Amino acid sequence: MADLSAPALSVPAAPVLSPRRPAVSAIAWAVGPALLLFVVFFILPFGVMALLSVLTGNPAIQSGVTFTAQHYERFFEDSLYFEALVATLRIGAITTVASLVIGYPLAHLMARTHSRIGHALLLMAVIAPMLTGIVVRTFAWMTLLQDRGVINTTLLSWGLISSPLKLMYNEFGTIVALVHIYVPFMVLTLTGVIGRIDERLEQAARSLGANRTRTFLEVTLPLSLPGILAGSLLVFALSISAYVTPFLMGGTDVLTLPMLIYQQVGASFNLGFAGALGVVLLAVSLIVIIAYNNVLGRFAGGEKMA
Amino acid sequence: MDQSASSPASIGLDAVSKSYDGRVRAVDAVSLDVKPGEFFSLLGPSGCGKTTTLRMIAGFETVDTGRIRVGDRDVTDVPVHKRDMGMVFQSYALFPHRTVAENVAFGLRMRKVPKAEIEERVRAALALVALTGFEDRRPGQLSGGQQQRVALARAIVIRPPVLLCDEPLGALDRKLRQQMQFELKQLQKELGVTLVFVTHDQEEALAMSDRIAVMNAGRIEQIGTPTEIYDRPRTRFVADFIGEINLIERPGGKALAVRPEKIVLGAPGAVLDGTIDSASFLGGQTLYRVALSDGRQMLVKETNAGERPVRSVGDKVGLAWAAADGVELEA
Repeated sequence: MADLSAPALSVPAAPVLSPRRPAVSAIAWAVGPALLLFVVFFILPFGVMALLSVLTGNPAIQSGVTFTAQHYERFFEDSLYFEALVATLRIGAITTVASLVIGYPLAHLMARTHSRIGHALLLMAVIAPMLTGIVVRTFAWMTLLQDRGVINTTLLSWGLISSPLKLMYNEFGTIVALVHIYVPFMVLTLTGVIGRIDERLEQAARSLGANRTRTFLEVTLPLSLPGILAGSLLVFALSISAYVTPFLMGGTDVLTLPMLIYQQVGASFNLGFAGALGVVLLAVSLIVIIAYNNVLGRFAGGEKMA
Repeated sequence: MDQSASSPASIGLDAVSKSYDGRVRAVDAVSLDVKPGEFFSLLGPSGCGKTTTLRMIAGFETVDTGRIRVGDRDVTDVPVHKRDMGMVFQSYALFPHRTVAENVAFGLRMRKVPKAEIEERVRAALALVALTGFEDRRPGQLSGGQQQRVALARAIVIRPPVLLCDEPLGALDRKLRQQMQFELKQLQKELGVTLVFVTHDQEEALAMSDRIAVMNAGRIEQIGTPTEIYDRPRTRFVADFIGEINLIERPGGKALAVRPEKIVLGAPGAVLDGTIDSASFLGGQTLYRVALSDGRQMLVKETNAGERPVRSVGDKVGLAWAAADGVELEA
């Protein structure tokens, strides 16, 4: 075999570079740390979690551990867990839609503001809340939405209501706080995409007889679908995995999968069942995301999305 | 082919002005009248206000003062989508998420034209710009010239009485641009549509227009046919902006302008005498730089045809021209 390659190597015009070393661009090496992080802090822990979810115990500290489907059976046997899954997805979906409805006009305004000061002010308004912690913001919402909070006290004193509205310790309060926390992610993602839409496309549509609404529906909205998709996925993923906000704002009324997982890990020490819950959450949210991607992709006129 | 405009409309601008943020007037009391079916160019350097003027006609910019009229209708306060004008952008502004056919059909859909008629008119419009067979492509899959044709088809398919073009050929290479100039002119004639064309390219304006308005610093310097603009420029700016010209200063800030090709070279002892400084062979013509005794320089173009003496650098020559070829410029 060696004599086969010998003549090729002896050709004087052969490239100077050693043929044995495959060309790897410098940027590929720069991805290394990110890849390492991903493997060590995501793939590995997720693998362990998935493995524990199909074992009867923890093989590191117990003996006689065998494979089992008991954790998954438990999830599907007790409707409490299924309801928690549905609640998690419902909260995620409503939060996403509300963030989109609130965030889109803001992002559009930001993308189309030509004055630098105006843009800077809007950007500050969007980012500033992100600089305060989630817990702080959640507590701020509690002072507003409590039975004796600002809103209820005001409405009561004006005589508009006779008893306090139930604004928190339920899904409503949870969603209000989640939307507030995650709207900036939606706005920043959308602003980039909307800002790249050529304004002359909108002008062309107008000159062809489309009023502002039609122009928005026919041109601006379809062209911002990639941003809507990316922003929605971000907000959805963040809100279905939120723990602090549902815990503080939901009270006893709200039970989401992350809260269940925390209970299983922190109180029941049932790592196997916690793992099963985690796998179910991941699987279901992946299905939701893929379906969403496909539906939006079809609206975008068959163009490949994300 | 029933692709023609409903009926070409006149356009009138009456002392239209526009300024941004209280700065200098981008457009300063511009008045002009475009006749129905006319190919009218707004020509000038960048920043002269030609594009702003066009965008005010289209309705993308509001008017500070003055009125805009299309036909008998005052459109000054009419929103863009109700002005019924075709517009072709320099960047083409094709909808990237729609096919060629969908792009062309857009204006008809907005006008609620029946589906069968839309199909027929889109087909005809694409045939007119020689793009039959490209219906299902997306703009991203087309060359610059093809995108330009789609943009044109999309604008004319609605049969607008007025077609506005903002440097539509600016992004094309020279060869393609010349071809498109010819095609656009043909198309405009065929459709009989009133066309307002913005360009900074004087050759393009001279070649295509029925009339040209030369703009500078927000004002119209001169309006006239290409021949008038070229042969009888009224101001220094117009004389200087269009082609090459020799300016001979006169007392009182006035000047006499003579085109290089209108000057006849002969023996010394003519209107002006000088020495040939340089000679550049341009193919059809030879361009001479002639230094006059007082240090000024004159450009002279001599057509390379018929019998003429061989001239070389250092030769003494006399410069003469017909009285009618010298143009007195305003101070």
